[in-house]
Amino acid sequence: MERVDKNEVQNPTQIAVLGTLAEFHRDPLPYDLTALVDLVAEINPDLLCLDISLAQWRQQDFSGLPPEYSEALLPLADQTDIVVVPIGGQSPMPKATAVGWRGLVIGWARQLLGWIWASAPGPDAINRGWRHDWGNALYSLIRSLAGSEVNHAYHAHIDQVAQAALKAAHNNPGSRILVVTNIQYCHHIRPQLQQAGLTETTYKNL
Amino acid sequence: MTPASTTIKVVVLADALLPRLAWEALLAPQPGLELWGTAANLDDLRALTLLKGQTAVLLDLKEPLQPHVAEITNALPDVGLLCLVDAYDLNQIVALLQAGAAGSLSRDATLPELIRALIAASRGEIVLPPELAARALTALARGEMPPQRSIEALTDREHEVLALLAKGRTNKDIAQSLFLSVRTVEAHLHNIYSKLDVASRTEAVLWAVQHGLDP
Repeated sequence: MERVDKNEVQNPTQIAVLGTLAEFHRDPLPYDLTALVDLVAEINPDLLCLDISLAQWRQQDFSGLPPEYSEALLPLADQTDIVVVPIGGQSPMPKATAVGWRGLVIGWARQLLGWIWASAPGPDAINRGWRHDWGNALYSLIRSLAGSEVNHAYHAHIDQVAQAALKAAHNNPGSRILVVTNIQYCHHIRPQLQQAGLTETTYKNL
Repeated sequence: MTPASTTIKVVVLADALLPRLAWEALLAPQPGLELWGTAANLDDLRALTLLKGQTAVLLDLKEPLQPHVAEITNALPDVGLLCLVDAYDLNQIVALLQAGAAGSLSRDATLPELIRALIAASRGEIVLPPELAARALTALARGEMPPQRSIEALTDREHEVLALLAKGRTNKDIAQSLFLSVRTVEAHLHNIYSKLDVASRTEAVLWAVQHGLDP
């Protein structure tokens, strides 16, 4: 067994999940990319678990990543002590699409999501409260309309991300870990972390 | 929120006014750094009397740098000196390390590279260009007698950390390579120093080089 510093053993590992908005961050929202960088810089976690694959990380190919990673968090980590841990799977999530009336409803649901996020005064209002609940319901509706393949991929993705975050926690006892992933995954990842016995907290208390 | 790492203090020593103003503009807004001041000479540097805690001094001076480094090391032994150089030269890098510098950085480096180097220098880490690190450390180790004591066996993880240390990697580089936190790497280094019975990072690096660990 590896020895670690006594202080690290005494401090419990803390983990928090922060939801992000992908392409919505480009809109003129209070929770824009600058706000995201400021927030994560202030939290200053030891580990920043990002939903990217190990292959993407090793190739340093960030061109296809959402803007909150490629334009905000990866540059921040690059010039601070924050260590990036890639926790995404190898297979990208299929885009939730459908034809006919299902496709129309998906389009409306996305418009409604855009309105909900645009009306939020900051990250807190997106990561908890009625906007968060409505967002979850709309994402769930979109997945249902897109079919079982998307649903299966979604749950496989959740399991992959949660297990990889748990592995990072296991390898770094006493660390402060921030998992940053799309807002649609957060409410399924948090319970998995709690069930594993970790101190899952809000990002504000990390 | 309770950030784990403290902000490091940075002082820039540059002999011309415009570079000092440029450094202020460049470094002041960077997260994790606190630009403590700029100095034109050693007297100005000494006047910044609150050089305590994790402090890096960036030397933006005309060459030769070794006399300045030796002078500052004598006057302020606890700061980490990072020297800006026009180009990497093995002999110069080794001479600067021997004079007491934490390391060298090319003037062609990017801003993130500079900030990472300042953070590492402030912690007393060795900052070297990866392509010359192995040769510089080997040169530094030459002439030093390897300790002949038996040591407690290192774990696989400690071997990994020590091998990266021997390549001249900073704690952040090691942490990122192994997907560990910087604090976890520091804990492993603490254990490594204890097992090798060495007192410092430099001694651990020299031990690794002398005992044939990769580089």
